[in-house]
Amino acid sequence: MFEPVFLAQQALNGLSFGALLFLLASGLTLVFGLQRIVNLAHGAFYMLGGYIGLVIATLTGNLLLAVVVAMIAVGVTAFVVEVGLLRFVRGQEMPEVLLTIGVMFVVADLCLAIFGGDPKTLPAAASIQGAMSIGGLIYPWYRIFVIGVAVVIGIALALVQTKTRVGAIVRAGVDDRETISAMGVNIGWVFTGMFVVGGALAALSGTIGSGVISVRPGIQNEVLMYALVVIILGGLGSIKGAAVGAVLIGLIDAFAKAWIPELAYFTIFAPMALVLVFRPSGLFGRAT
Amino acid sequence: MTRDRKVGLGAMALLLLALASYPYLGTSGYQVSIASTVLIAAILASTVNFLAADGGMASLGHGAIAGAAAYGAGWASLQGHSMATQIALAMVVGILVTTVYGVLSMRTNGIYFLMVTLALGMVVFGLAYRLSSVTRGENGITGIERPEVLAEPWAFYLFLVGCFAVTTAALWVVSRSPFGATLRGIRDSESRMRSLGYYVPAYKLGAFMISGTIASLAGLLAVWHTHFVSPSATELGRSVLLIVMVLLGGLGTTLGPLVGAAIVILVENVVSNSVERWPTVLGLIFILTILFARAGLVGSAAKVLRRRRRGTDAGEPDTAEPAGLTTTTTIP
Repeated sequence: MFEPVFLAQQALNGLSFGALLFLLASGLTLVFGLQRIVNLAHGAFYMLGGYIGLVIATLTGNLLLAVVVAMIAVGVTAFVVEVGLLRFVRGQEMPEVLLTIGVMFVVADLCLAIFGGDPKTLPAAASIQGAMSIGGLIYPWYRIFVIGVAVVIGIALALVQTKTRVGAIVRAGVDDRETISAMGVNIGWVFTGMFVVGGALAALSGTIGSGVISVRPGIQNEVLMYALVVIILGGLGSIKGAAVGAVLIGLIDAFAKAWIPELAYFTIFAPMALVLVFRPSGLFGRAT
Repeated sequence: MTRDRKVGLGAMALLLLALASYPYLGTSGYQVSIASTVLIAAILASTVNFLAADGGMASLGHGAIAGAAAYGAGWASLQGHSMATQIALAMVVGILVTTVYGVLSMRTNGIYFLMVTLALGMVVFGLAYRLSSVTRGENGITGIERPEVLAEPWAFYLFLVGCFAVTTAALWVVSRSPFGATLRGIRDSESRMRSLGYYVPAYKLGAFMISGTIASLAGLLAVWHTHFVSPSATELGRSVLLIVMVLLGGLGTTLGPLVGAAIVILVENVVSNSVERWPTVLGLIFILTILFARAGLVGSAAKVLRRRRRGTDAGEPDTAEPAGLTTTTTIP
């Protein structure tokens, strides 16, 4: 139970799951940072992205193509939801958030209707085969790849946010909506764009994640819960918070599942409880 | 007593009379059973209504609170404990879960509150699903009996009418008390109430405890009705349905939860028998409700009545619109 190899294995499990959680939570937290709404359909977007990615991966055996198609398809879905529904209740936070719940039900149920109820995983042809072996430790390359993707995406998001004009507009929108729209930026389309990016990130994590956790009915709630816990922990709207929260929850979850499987859900809830009691805005959240 | 209040009380008495006479009107056992389901859902929805309308706190975790209480009764029944122990355990578990919810959410508001209750509800669902040594996992717990006095369906139904009347009256009283006024003050401006010297978290916790305790009772009643509890009783979908009921009926209205519950349960029973895609229908109903009918049926009807009456006499000023679901969030 405490052998070094076992510990290393669980630590890697935790890191790779944390990496997946980061991909998932980053989209959610970015949308919140700008629009002040929590997209509760995010889990359903993950699910939809996962299914579409799986279909493409099964057909072509190409993971990159699967990811791209899934991101585009879910991005379009997110666009329709934003322009077709959310715009009508813009500025009223609660109705906006509740609307996304309705979207979640519809999307998840249509996924069940189209893709069926059997759990599906990434086919071997599209996955990365083999395992890394260091001493007694054997670990699949695919999970190492997931960690790599999360690191790359994380750095890319941080760079876009701090170094580019688009990032500057988004940061300005977070800080002061009125001023940025007075400066001639159509903030409505910035919102739409961010919502689409959030959906695409969910699809990315769904497709990549299908090699780690099987996509099945109910997955939308499970991943949504993890994502919510991560961003409550890290602080809403903070990419850094999402990264720290995701790694923390990933590690706790991995070790809890190995040591006390019956209470696996309960253990990720403990750090959230502590943060809520002592620092309700999250580890990296900004109090407003 | 104002005229509005007299009319309200009269309507309430008539409604209760109608509800109580329902089983004697030649209704079938199935119809009485549906009506019982509606009453239980209405009790649960009224607790969500109270929190959302007076406290500005929209909870997505009340289904799980009721489910936890149901599991309390179920576990006790599984261990062969007496009826009194089953009732006690249901309430203890329900109130315990409520306390956890309340303590963790008392410093949050708006969307943060929604997210915390949502995540906690999912934790309860996860426990119900995975802690199979206690909950029997996916199979759930069956054969949970209700007290012998209530064994007959009509007796149980009349008991539910009584429960509905008592809980609705209790929430009405709390809402009109100074405590309720303070809650509405917090809903409208937390910072103002804080600077007036109110310790806001305590009021939020108090409101949550009242709401959660009644929700636990509803959970116990539900398990007495179906004799069965499984993880699906704690699902997110349950809690979402409660919000649909509250919005459809009319947020902040006394009878809204009953009207909303009746509509949702009837649609659920009719639609889920004929249409396979019930969650899609539910999602669409929810979306349409939010887009077009946020005042709800009872809320809109009351507004129309008030407007018509104002033509004949001066009447009273409009009571403030409930703002529970339109308030803005400040991140703590």
